Amino acid sequence: MVSKTKRVLAMILTGMMAASALAGCTPTETTEGGGTNSTAASATESAAAGDGASKAAGGEVQDIEAMTDNIKAKMKEEAAATGGKISLTFWCASDDRKFEKSRIEEFKKKYGGDGYEFDISVKAAFGEGEAGGKILESPKDGADVFNFADDQLSTLVESKAIAPVIELFNSNVVANNSEETVSAYQIDGVPYAFPKTSDNGYFLYYDKRVYPTEADVANLDDMIKKAAENNKNVYFNIGNGWYNAAFYFSAGVTIKYENGKQTTTFNTDEGFNAAKAMCHVAENAGKGFVGTDGGSGDNSAVAKGFKDGSLAAAVIGTWEGPAIKEAIGADNVGAAKLPTALIAGEQKQLHSFGGYKLIGVNQFTKYPVTSQTLAYFLSNTESQIARYKERGLIPTDLKALEDKDIQSDPARKAISDQQPFSHGQGSSVGGKYWSTNVGGFGGEIVTKKGKISDDELKKSLQSIQTQIDT
Amino acid sequence: MDFLDYAQLTTGQKISYKIKSFFTGIPGAIAAIFAAIGRFFKGIFTWIGKGIGGYGSRFAKGDAGTKASYLIMGAGNILHGQIGKGLCFLAVEVAYFMFMINFGWSYITKIYGMNVQVDDNTIVSGVIGTQPPIYDVDPLFGAKTVTNLDTLDDSNKVLLFFVMTIIVSIAFFAVYITNTKSAFATQEIIAEGKKPIGFIDELKMFLDERFHVTMLIIPVLGLLVFTVLPIIFTIFMAFTNYDKEHQPPGNMYWWVGFKNFADVFYSNPDKSATFGKILVWTLVWAVFATFTNYIFGIILALMINKKEIKFKAFWRTMFVVTAAVPQFVTLLICKLLLADGGPINTTLMSMGMNAIPFLSNADYARVTVIVVNMWVGIPYTMLITSGLLMNIPEDLYESARIDGANAFQQFTKITFPYIFFVTTPYLITTFVGNINNFNVIYFLTGGGPSPASYYKAGQTDLLVTWLYKLTTVSSDFNLAAVIGIIVFVICAAGSLITFNMSKASKNEEEFS
Amino acid sequence: MTNTSSMQTGYAAKKKAVNTLIYVILSIMVLIWIFPIVWLVLASFSGDGITTGLVPTKFTFDNYIRLAQDHDKDGHVYAPEDMPFPYFKWILNTFIVAVLSCVISTLIILMVSYAFSRLRFKSRKTFLNLGLILGMFPGFMSMAATYNIMEIFGLKQNLFALVIVYSAGAGLGYQVAKGFFDTIPRSLDEAAKIDGATRNQIFWIIILPLSKPIIVYTALTTFIGPWADYIFVSYFMKDNSDSYTIALGLYRMIGQETMNEYFTVFCAGAVLIAIPITILFVIMQRFYVAGVTGGAVKG
Repeated sequence: MVSKTKRVLAMILTGMMAASALAGCTPTETTEGGGTNSTAASATESAAAGDGASKAAGGEVQDIEAMTDNIKAKMKEEAAATGGKISLTFWCASDDRKFEKSRIEEFKKKYGGDGYEFDISVKAAFGEGEAGGKILESPKDGADVFNFADDQLSTLVESKAIAPVIELFNSNVVANNSEETVSAYQIDGVPYAFPKTSDNGYFLYYDKRVYPTEADVANLDDMIKKAAENNKNVYFNIGNGWYNAAFYFSAGVTIKYENGKQTTTFNTDEGFNAAKAMCHVAENAGKGFVGTDGGSGDNSAVAKGFKDGSLAAAVIGTWEGPAIKEAIGADNVGAAKLPTALIAGEQKQLHSFGGYKLIGVNQFTKYPVTSQTLAYFLSNTESQIARYKERGLIPTDLKALEDKDIQSDPARKAISDQQPFSHGQGSSVGGKYWSTNVGGFGGEIVTKKGKISDDELKKSLQSIQTQIDT
Repeated sequence: MDFLDYAQLTTGQKISYKIKSFFTGIPGAIAAIFAAIGRFFKGIFTWIGKGIGGYGSRFAKGDAGTKASYLIMGAGNILHGQIGKGLCFLAVEVAYFMFMINFGWSYITKIYGMNVQVDDNTIVSGVIGTQPPIYDVDPLFGAKTVTNLDTLDDSNKVLLFFVMTIIVSIAFFAVYITNTKSAFATQEIIAEGKKPIGFIDELKMFLDERFHVTMLIIPVLGLLVFTVLPIIFTIFMAFTNYDKEHQPPGNMYWWVGFKNFADVFYSNPDKSATFGKILVWTLVWAVFATFTNYIFGIILALMINKKEIKFKAFWRTMFVVTAAVPQFVTLLICKLLLADGGPINTTLMSMGMNAIPFLSNADYARVTVIVVNMWVGIPYTMLITSGLLMNIPEDLYESARIDGANAFQQFTKITFPYIFFVTTPYLITTFVGNINNFNVIYFLTGGGPSPASYYKAGQTDLLVTWLYKLTTVSSDFNLAAVIGIIVFVICAAGSLITFNMSKASKNEEEFS
Repeated sequence: MTNTSSMQTGYAAKKKAVNTLIYVILSIMVLIWIFPIVWLVLASFSGDGITTGLVPTKFTFDNYIRLAQDHDKDGHVYAPEDMPFPYFKWILNTFIVAVLSCVISTLIILMVSYAFSRLRFKSRKTFLNLGLILGMFPGFMSMAATYNIMEIFGLKQNLFALVIVYSAGAGLGYQVAKGFFDTIPRSLDEAAKIDGATRNQIFWIIILPLSKPIIVYTALTTFIGPWADYIFVSYFMKDNSDSYTIALGLYRMIGQETMNEYFTVFCAGAVLIAIPITILFVIMQRFYVAGVTGGAVKG
């Protein structure tokens, strides 16, 4: 149904391009007539003209370059309402500010035109972690374009604070990204954001001096044992619902978010097995295993731990990569997919959330098309490669991933090895999941060093399940 | 027992008397509160009755000017020669009608929107606002936009302006009644053959007989606009479904009656269980936090202010320094110091001891927050008590010494009763302050640890920090408003009981 | 009956023992109280980045320099307008807000407490009770509504909005000052009234000069408030980092992404603002104590 709508839109669009190119007048004036007159022929033409890389998830790939003049005309139209000036606000993390600013300069060069000027203010107030929440606080006062982590997508969509991506850009994003990536920014088949980096998930960082070979990091129990022998620890924050989902996923628990509804099967044998597996690991708490962030609410324990030598490995993501490198030296840093864990008597590969960082456009922006163009520009192949070179963030774009430097990055390899066992957050968890204290339950397990009776485990799982069901 | 009798008791007797009178007083105080509430409503009804009666009889007895002022405000005053005052009344009337026509009335009509299409396939009555957002797709690019962003009804704004209109109307009504009274009063003065007071003289009264009006007008206006108005707004919010799925301007919200209260008290097992547990902890916390600070603060002040102790300024300064550093800094530092892998635990472990889960184990965390709160609060109590100690009339001690009282007796007979007497209101405010103590909990534990059975909260969360999380993290605005009201009721009931019972409220001028 | 001199020496010895005990207790308490502060100061000079030990291993002034002239991880100095954490701009903002709200709040508190303490009027009790009731609503419960009101006044994300928020509610904080006014004998007012003074004149000429300590106390507390408030600023200023006050600014420094890099800079920033406030506190406190003893007239 949805894809059908999109296809119709695409047809209208291509028809428009032809019509406006012929007529040479402003697009809006020709809309009514031109749009309906568009023929299937022109749509097929454009499909043929495209590189043929279109996927089932999206419509025909549309040529953005060919549309540049139309986009500029639209920008002029949007600017006219506010006195010829396009005043946009863009939110990013403070350490990304310099880089994003330089890309935005490129954007201005490319899309600048007569009759309007850009006034884009880059604010480093809110990073990906909190931008979504800040938008929700007061959507109209939020940034026009903002970076956010994909776990906030569902809440943003529920509040109708984020604008759906227009087909012109979405068709290109779909063509350039893997299906997993595409599913991460779609909800019920509607695209809501532009993928920017693929490294918002977690995998394993380890100290090569403790684990010289990849075989050493294959199994969680062995890793903990070896760490304990070296008077070190393995850090895996299962007191956090985002990280401990690894166990639930591996044990076969369903965690799904569809049509604004959260479905899970915590209160099952699988859920129980996962909890038991965590208890088994938590028995080592303090002796080779660190299972919570120590109440700090952030990841500062990781950098600290590697620096003072108390950590040998950590389940964490690229954002701690630079700090770990600084702590133990780049040559000693290893990265790999998560190890296996003992679940219900057998070793099972731990799953993870394959997180993405996305760029979203505020539903209430005064410049919808300009904002979407900017968001697309900042997430295109070129920007993603530049972002890797400057900021070390792993791209999502398939063409960007072919870059030589990126190919040889250990973190990239770890991410792509973990990929088959990773789950998109947008399609797995909604706001409700986070409000159930799945994490608190994990924290309880760690604090009690896994000494919780089966009955109590089941009771807690049941409580989580009821919280989600009601 | 009046204060003089009371002051003769020993400390032990005093405390037991206080405790006894506290508990024996509770039923009486509760009854007194209900009686007061009853009197309040009775008072209101008699007042309204009298008001209507007076309103009618003034009209009946009024002359043409007075009668005219029932329609045209200030007419009576103008006709009776008080032109300045009359014009003021008239200006108020004109301004009010301008306000209503141009602004206020439309929000009264919008507060209960009938059959509003809030969604593609949902039509609801009782929506706050009548004009829902209209989504449209721009034909060339397919960008989905809200086309009526400037004209749609943002439920928040509608509700806010509605409350504002009501407040303005009540204020106008008060002025209107004053206007009829004033017209009638001048009529009577003229009938007695006197001349009504001039405008300038009347204004001068605001520096003397009516000086309280001058002193209170700005603070009261400030409170009305920036405290009362938002509070009423938020109370209304508790009766709506304003949560993340009904967030303006993309959505609208509507009235749902007492559903949110039912959720918190019984109908939603997760929310009500969480509420119960947090409520108990909030009360336990408030009692401990208040009294530990109070008692140890007084002891510290006494130690420092003991005559023979030298370097008073030094001691005081040392403690004051901790109060001078902004709380969130010191609290974040404490959190870091006390973290599982923090400096204190690292040091403990290097000394061969076990690490202590100060913040990550619920029982420890609860003790930790109370202890850290002492660290934060004792310097304040110490400062305030120090000031009070200086304030005790020296001649009281003089006569006590002549009577042969030793230092301990002086303390129990003079110092402690005085401090306790003067600080009872302070104690109440501190108690209320601790129920609302956000900083210590939020910056130290963030409410954690959070077990599965808590809805969006943790084991050290107070009602207020839960409220904050509901507002900023989960966008459960309606639930947050319910919690806010409950916090208010607890604080109000608790302090009304103690306040009614404390002698401080009755004998506020005794020490002068 | 007994030898008085030995009793006296016994008494003196006991007294000395008590005093020594008090000194010991005070010293231990001071150590406990001052320890986090000392740690904060040490961390502010630390070159270790985020610290795990009690004492840093490397000492540096870099953290303080970075408050004024920050650089990124590669050592490139930020242009002033690009500073991720414009510390001194935030200090200036806080100072403006603190001064304005201190002046307004102090005036309001004095007015309200004077009216309630010294003046008798018909609805006094009602107002007193209403004031108490209003004070019992959680402060930030209606934050969202207040934000909307500021928007109506055109003060969205404006420093003056903060001034208003901090001072508009000040009227509810009258208890302490009222308690003070209650201790000034009413005979003073009566005498002045007989001399023909209006209540206005009594307030300015008689009561205010006697109220120095409470004025100082009120001014002090209202001045300090904005330096520590985090909740309102973060809700009101949102992304407008040019209008942050120092508490929010410092808090941002130790957000998830910047914690590791900026923790010690945060400590330096905290130390820098703590120094003047502490000095202020200490000076004011001497004034305060002297004021309380000298100013109050006993009846």
